[in-house]
Amino acid sequence: MLGQELSETGKRLFRDFPILRMLWESGRKKGLRETIALIEKAEEFNRTFAVPRALELDMRMEREPEYFDWDIMREACKYRFLSIFIPKQLGGIAGEFMVTNTSLLMDELCSGCSGIALAVGAHSLGVAPVITSGAMAHWDTVLKEIVEGELKRQPVTMAYAITEPSAGTDVEEPEYLERAKLSLEAKKVKGGYVLNGRKCFISDGSEAKYFTVCAALDRNRPLQTWTTFLVERDMEGFSTPRVELKMGQRASHAAELLFEDVFVPDSHVLGYEGDGMGNGILMIMAASRGPVGSIATGIARGALQHFLSWAKTKRNGKRPIDEDRIRMNLADMWGMIQENRGLYMSNAMLGDAIFGKALDNPVMNLTLSLPSSLRTMPLMRNFLNSYYGKAMINAVLRFYIKDEDMTQLLETASLAKFSCADNAMELCSRALSIMGPEDSEERRWVEKCYRDAKLTQIYEGTNQLNRMVVNNIRFEETLRVEVPRPFKKGVMA
Amino acid sequence: MIGVPWAKESKQYAVLRSNALNFAASELAPMADDLENTVDSPLFWKAVEKAGEMGMLAALVPEQLGGEGVDLYSLCVALEESAVECAGFAAALLFHNAALVPLVYSDRKDLVEEFTGGKPLCTVATAGELALEEGRVRGSAPFVFNVLEGTVALLFAAAGDGRTAAYVKMGTEGVETRVDPYPLGWRVSNFATLEMKDARPVFVLDKSGKEALAATERTLYLGLAAIANGIVRKAFQKAYDYARQRYQAGKIIIEHQAMRLMLARMLCAMEEGRAVIRRACGSEELGPAIIAWRRAGANACQAAMDGVQIHGGYGYMRDYGMERLMRDAKYCQMFPRPEEEQLLRLLDMAESGS
Ligand SMILES: Cc1cc2nc3c(=O)[nH]c(=O)nc-3n(C[C@H](O)[C@H](O)[C@H](O)COP(=O)(O)OP(=O)(O)OC[C@H]3O[C@@H](n4cnc5c(N)ncnc54)[C@H](O)[C@@H]3O)c2cc1C
Repeated sequence: MLGQELSETGKRLFRDFPILRMLWESGRKKGLRETIALIEKAEEFNRTFAVPRALELDMRMEREPEYFDWDIMREACKYRFLSIFIPKQLGGIAGEFMVTNTSLLMDELCSGCSGIALAVGAHSLGVAPVITSGAMAHWDTVLKEIVEGELKRQPVTMAYAITEPSAGTDVEEPEYLERAKLSLEAKKVKGGYVLNGRKCFISDGSEAKYFTVCAALDRNRPLQTWTTFLVERDMEGFSTPRVELKMGQRASHAAELLFEDVFVPDSHVLGYEGDGMGNGILMIMAASRGPVGSIATGIARGALQHFLSWAKTKRNGKRPIDEDRIRMNLADMWGMIQENRGLYMSNAMLGDAIFGKALDNPVMNLTLSLPSSLRTMPLMRNFLNSYYGKAMINAVLRFYIKDEDMTQLLETASLAKFSCADNAMELCSRALSIMGPEDSEERRWVEKCYRDAKLTQIYEGTNQLNRMVVNNIRFEETLRVEVPRPFKKGVMA
Repeated sequence: MIGVPWAKESKQYAVLRSNALNFAASELAPMADDLENTVDSPLFWKAVEKAGEMGMLAALVPEQLGGEGVDLYSLCVALEESAVECAGFAAALLFHNAALVPLVYSDRKDLVEEFTGGKPLCTVATAGELALEEGRVRGSAPFVFNVLEGTVALLFAAAGDGRTAAYVKMGTEGVETRVDPYPLGWRVSNFATLEMKDARPVFVLDKSGKEALAATERTLYLGLAAIANGIVRKAFQKAYDYARQRYQAGKIIIEHQAMRLMLARMLCAMEEGRAVIRRACGSEELGPAIIAWRRAGANACQAAMDGVQIHGGYGYMRDYGMERLMRDAKYCQMFPRPEEEQLLRLLDMAESGS
């Protein structure tokens, strides 16, 4: 019965993820059809676009690190990958299974080329704070611009900037942020803030039009004053002077952001002042570290596919797979991938259970069903950006999302992140050792996966940091995510 | 820098080590990262010339044949120190020296002279399938380094019911090369696959072919182990220095136990590497050399990976010199033969008492 209704992709997904089949059987067909359709698109994207150019582009980026292939973003527009986090009510494609879809999408895209996938995915990381902070005033401007650009295949992209030259791990954990040595500071001035300092390693930083940027209002009290801003590329004093030559995932840029007296208006604070860590970064990390686990899994799966194709190719009359040791290794590798998927899917499904309600409820639906012209009226905009407007939005968020939920989500995310990354690294490493000195396209691919995989142990918090997070939440209960509170006191008092 | 803490060596090796380290620091360090993308740079050849002056170009060939006649451990010492700064260069030196080993089993002083002229370096082709029949070589061999016009390659060629050492010269009839512009590691030396289409060797060892190839292999495995150990040392040195200056999570990161454990593992790896290499050099057997290679290769991969990790995001970027170690280390493990295959071979060797 399943067979008739499902495409080949659907069947593969149900075989790889029996939990999806369970959801299907229990009546969540509508959402799952979207999931399947999305993954079909990702397969097509890989087949027709990413895979044919991945190795060439990777090599080119080594020689010309400044080069960026805009076709990646244009092609992503065609499949609407730039709006996976943007709610349908706003023209995006985020629905019932937003987090699950994101995770599955990254797994799929990264099995083709994780550099290209990162260029696409980092954009959504930039979008996320605009959504989770409930900054409705920007939904009809920034998010709408992204959607419209996507439909016209004129990509408008975002990036998420928290890391600073002297603070990487430090900006990912409240306890550490408190003692961090920060570079960027946002000074309150009339009508807004003036930003000075640097951010580094920002994925998509040299392409994005909009940035969600965290900065301290007072570098001596970073945790209390950590605030999320929406920064626009053409703001005066803003520049991206440097891109790095990375070991892997090269198709996307890691850029430095330089702020020289950049004026950011009050309206561009996302959430309240001082909410940047608890409600900002931790919420984003709870939603994004799981997908980093799926990035690692996709890389590993890509490596496995190439390894398998190598194993099945005859060399001097023999196929490697005819040896038992190769068969055993293949089974081990598949085991690692399925173990990863168990972990990131737990996180993703919990994410959807939590965010599903927050994005699809009477208040939200009513607000989003208003004509956007109403929401963009100056009076309304001012209200949404005001202290009371934010209080209202936060009250709704808090009604649907509980601190315990977000804390559990962060735990599952961190667990998935470091476990998947370690497995991916191990898988790629083992595949290369087994292949040994080979002159084959497959070896070149697996070498690329090996370089690509290493990054997953570093970004979105190093694996060490993520291990600490799991401990701190699960065993010592010293870390807790706080969903934004309405009527927060000013932090600069 | 903290050195290998406990391994003590005789004066002869200690002197050699310090000379080689100076050589690496002055000739290899300044160009290690540049060389990544400049395969045939003058700097490379200047370093080769210096290596020649230090006796590193025909190290294992006896003096009566025009070589330096040093022992294998000395070559390992020189390679380890070179690899501290540039594993790719050390590998290029190793392949050259290994390629000359079969000549020890001949009386061809003229060939030693011809092959050690300095430019280009010789090389070895161990992988792939090559066969010598009726004086001609057929087949292909991947993962061959130092490949330039005029390079002489030692081939491990199947002949009769065994193997023998045959030398061919790049650019002669029937010798084709397919350069891979984008290998993972050891980027300094040209990396290619050789295609032999009825190529005529410049020399074939008639007798002692098997023995000669076993000695060559032993040189390769031990040399690679030494290079791997050089990588461990560099990873440790860089990571240790970095960890002492990077502040994160309220401390300099060397105070975080997770970092200390990684560094301590590297310290063990250095000591372990030295020990297995020393021990294997004291034996004429191939087995201990393979064991040393396995251990040191795995250690180098882990150390380089941990070194990158200790550097956080900076470790992932070319400009900070860590990621190269990770790429170079992997080739110490993948070459000259796949690891599991060699493991099985070890047991076979033990069973047959060879
Ligand atoms: C290619 C790339 C893309 C990136 N993209 C983005 C992006 O889009 N946006 C963004 O904001 N950031 C981005 N980053 C930054 C990334 O998130 C940071 O690199 C990461 O958080 C680590 O920070 P760091 O590099 O400063 O390392 P550090 O924090 O300096 O860490 C150095 C080492 O110390 C260890 N360490 C630190 N604290 C502890 C502790 N308490 N216990 C044990 N060990 C500890 C770490 O695990 C690590 O091994 C990117 C990084 C890279 C490499």
